[in-house]
Amino acid sequence: MKVEGGLFIGCAVFFAGADIVYWYFSHDPTGTTALALAVGLAFLTGFYVLFTGRRLPKRPEDDPAGEIEEGTGEIGFFSPHSWWPLFLGLSCGLAALGVAIGWWLFLIGMLCVVSTTIGFVFEYYHGEFAH
Amino acid sequence: MSVGTIIWLSSELMFFAALFAMYFTIRSVDKGEGLPWPGAHLDVRLGSINTTVLLLSSVTCQMGVFAVERGQIRRTAKIWQFRQWGLREWYVLTFFMGLYFVCGQAVEYIGLMRQGLTLHSSAYGSVFFIPTGFHGLHVVGGLIAFLFILGRTFAAKRLTREVQVSAIVISYYWHFVDVVWIGLFTTIDLIH
Repeated sequence: MKVEGGLFIGCAVFFAGADIVYWYFSHDPTGTTALALAVGLAFLTGFYVLFTGRRLPKRPEDDPAGEIEEGTGEIGFFSPHSWWPLFLGLSCGLAALGVAIGWWLFLIGMLCVVSTTIGFVFEYYHGEFAH
Repeated sequence: MSVGTIIWLSSELMFFAALFAMYFTIRSVDKGEGLPWPGAHLDVRLGSINTTVLLLSSVTCQMGVFAVERGQIRRTAKIWQFRQWGLREWYVLTFFMGLYFVCGQAVEYIGLMRQGLTLHSSAYGSVFFIPTGFHGLHVVGGLIAFLFILGRTFAAKRLTREVQVSAIVISYYWHFVDVVWIGLFTTIDLIH
């Protein structure tokens, strides 16, 4: 995972350089802050990828002589279908509408958001498909 | 799932970048016009205690992660023997520390509102309440996530990889919220 991490760290170094040049020529606090946190944006991902890469065994993608079939196997659990994202989305829409119309609708919307999130999070923790 | 969380957190960082940028813009404009800055008397002592609790909650959260990585959900000894605590005990403690932080923020807000500082009162009021308020909402979101993961540990029939990974990504989020707060606290309360 060194290549992926290196790409992100490279971006972070570039933003850091750009930030210094930007501050030197403009003395503008706004853009400097935004660029400084863009360094954080790239560094966070790069650091995570490099750190995890060191802890994990070598992936087939890292091997120049790797074959496609080496990457097969169980990837994880994927929900075959679910109605919850639809209702969660509708609840978020209702809450957003509440911001425009009135706080009473926003509160009803938030109640819907919380209950549909509970449904979404615990969908495979009860009933027939519990695991 | 964990890579997705990290990518999402780095985009969240840019969200807070916009808030920081807003703060610094208003600050340089107001200072240029000779307006008082900060525009209210900030209770740094209360803020410091709050910050310390949030910082320590990151430590307890990480202890929970170490527990779940050992595969330990519940404590194996008496409640005061914290070395034997599992994910559940550490996360419950973290939850209450986060709750303390939110309540502390509420106390600080009430104090500032008594001084007449609100979202609408001045430019300082806006740039104080918007970033800290959004951060507070993130903490509340984290508290809800802690409740969900605790619920999952009770609902799951055995310790699945899914429970482990969700507990770990919640800790990423919590550390992120903590680091953002250190940035906010330093800029708003300490260096003004």
